[in-house]
Amino acid sequence: MVEGLFLDAAGMKALGAAIAISVTGYASAIAEKDIGTATIGAMAENEGLFGKGLILTVIPETIVIFGLVVALLINQ
Amino acid sequence: MRLLENLWGRKPSRKSDKKKKGSSNYPYAVTRVRAMKSKLLPKETYPRLLNMGIDEITRFIQESEYKNDVDELAMKYSGGDLAEHALNRNLALTCDKLVRITTGELNYLVVAYLKRHDIWNIKTLLRGKIYNAPVEEILESLIAAGEFTYTSMSELAAKATYKEIVEALKDTEYYPLLQKFDGTNLAYIENELDKMYYTGLFEAIGKPKSKDRKLFVKVVKLEIDVKNLINLFRLKKAGITQLDEIMLLMIEGGLELNPEKLAPLSYDDFVNELQRTQYWNAISGVVGPDMTSLTTLESKLTRYYLESTTILSHVSPITVVPILDYIIHKNNEATNLRIIFRGKETGLSDELIKDQLVII
Repeated sequence: MVEGLFLDAAGMKALGAAIAISVTGYASAIAEKDIGTATIGAMAENEGLFGKGLILTVIPETIVIFGLVVALLINQ
Repeated sequence: MRLLENLWGRKPSRKSDKKKKGSSNYPYAVTRVRAMKSKLLPKETYPRLLNMGIDEITRFIQESEYKNDVDELAMKYSGGDLAEHALNRNLALTCDKLVRITTGELNYLVVAYLKRHDIWNIKTLLRGKIYNAPVEEILESLIAAGEFTYTSMSELAAKATYKEIVEALKDTEYYPLLQKFDGTNLAYIENELDKMYYTGLFEAIGKPKSKDRKLFVKVVKLEIDVKNLINLFRLKKAGITQLDEIMLLMIEGGLELNPEKLAPLSYDDFVNELQRTQYWNAISGVVGPDMTSLTTLESKLTRYYLESTTILSHVSPITVVPILDYIIHKNNEATNLRIIFRGKETGLSDELIKDQLVII
């Protein structure tokens, strides 16, 4: 697959898939960090906000799901 | 060491303060404070409170967010005193909580803002000693929400004369000013303490570069404008036109108003000049030549200030403004409750009490 420093088509596809997953994973993490801490802050005052907070916290997870779909499409 | 500094209100050196940035926990603190704001008394509560007696109000307070404070103090106090102490205790604990839940730059700004309670406490202590008020009465009015703890202030309140209090404060930043206090110039010292607070606040902020500090400055400047405007109206109504006399009472650094320009004007010209400012819409309905009482005007201006801060907090949600907005609204709630039960205690009519309230 790898010859010297160059990648062939399969190598490029694998690299593309890796970038798609890692970048979107990182983006999700940043978004979830802020929403998660905000949820904890709200929950410290009002425990009833757990459900809403949980839903809002996982919404950025869609970003990494899109990344996963793209990675799968690249490897098809 | 930090504990000792907190106990005696010793200010950390300004240089290290300015460098103190660290990482701030904006999402956590701001959302928590917003949740805290949702627990403030809704505006529908006030008409109900006006129909109650003092004991009913105390019971109502006991069933609200002030439960712990009333329970804790019920053994020592009763009636209006109990409510007063409970409000002050709750305010102090709330401010302490705000300091605890914030970090970095946010914490620095909140601590600088809360120093206003230290100024309030020093004024109360001096006033109490000058008029020979009993220690109990002085303690009733103290709010341990700044850098001074309740214990250290109780010790100060127990001192026999104002001179001993001034001496006990010799390690604080207020000492050089307090040294000028001779027992007769209380009004001057109080004004200077206020000015010192705002100067210190602007100094702590430095030249605002970040969005957060710019918004912080805007809120503080708006507050200064409102305070200056209320004072200008009072002075104009009292017929004082001398520039020197008026400027002594003005705080520098307002947002839109220039007290030096407004001070020498006659009442009519002063009102005309105000029409060009953002405050006119808020006060146009009550300002006129036949205006006898300034109460409505003052509550309109305070309401404008509260509303403006709330709007700013919505425009910039992840900044220090929602926290300032909460502090201001919490103070307003405590003031409203205090007005209601003190008004009831002295037998004021409901209408008169209602005029004094700022209900948002």
